Amino acid sequence: MRIWTSEHTFDHSWETVVTAAWRKYPNPLNPSVVGLDVIDRSIDAEGKLNSHRLMSTSWGMPGWVAKLIGMQESVFASEHSVVDPKKKVFTLNSRNLTLSNVLTVNEQLVYSQHPTDPNKTLLKQEATVTVSGLPLCSRLEKMMTDAMNNNANKGRQAMEFVIDKVKKEARELSTEAHKCMDNVLPKPSSL
Amino acid sequence: MNSVGEECQELKRRYDECFNKWFAEKFLKGQTDDPCQPLFRVYQKCVKNAIKAKNLDLEQMEVQVLGTPNEKHPPS
Repeated sequence: MRIWTSEHTFDHSWETVVTAAWRKYPNPLNPSVVGLDVIDRSIDAEGKLNSHRLMSTSWGMPGWVAKLIGMQESVFASEHSVVDPKKKVFTLNSRNLTLSNVLTVNEQLVYSQHPTDPNKTLLKQEATVTVSGLPLCSRLEKMMTDAMNNNANKGRQAMEFVIDKVKKEARELSTEAHKCMDNVLPKPSSL
Repeated sequence: MNSVGEECQELKRRYDECFNKWFAEKFLKGQTDDPCQPLFRVYQKCVKNAIKAKNLDLEQMEVQVLGTPNEKHPPS
């Protein structure tokens, strides 16, 4: 088992980050995520949003590894998440479903409002890899954690990309609204 | 973004659009009334059927094997 952890600060409010997080896919930096569905979603008695999603990826492993463990084209993962709007914490836990009898990759992401700056968001990530029954245990684990580091960087870039897109949409909407109002309201000189 | 079932694509798109709007404009502002529920129920039904059709047994897959007595070991 190997544990990998990472921390990152986004220069955006928690609300912006969490809204963008739901719209994270598709994005050009994570092309391997090919499918995403909400299996279940509900609000619990404490007002927290609980969601269960199914993700399918075609994330690339080297050919020899795929052959060795007879990997399928689509790898499925299950993600459970909780949004606590009062505490401003969004927790996601995901685990692979495919090949779970051979290896398990557990990942947890926690987005929380920065403790000292309410305009920033803290992201803490943690992953554990459990491999068993294969002759190349630790080498495979190392490949996984290297890939995770790579993906974490891409994931953060993807978030910035989506946040940017969401903010741009809001600005465009605001500009259109102003244009519309300008056309409708009488101009001072015509009064 | 694609759905696991091609037939659920449009339902997914409509539900996601409803959810994203509700989440940002209502849920985060403290309103828990979810108007997307009816849309979700139809979409959810479609997805569960697609999963069954693809023989993905989600419950079986979610069973923990590694670290439990069910874990298989290489022959000694």
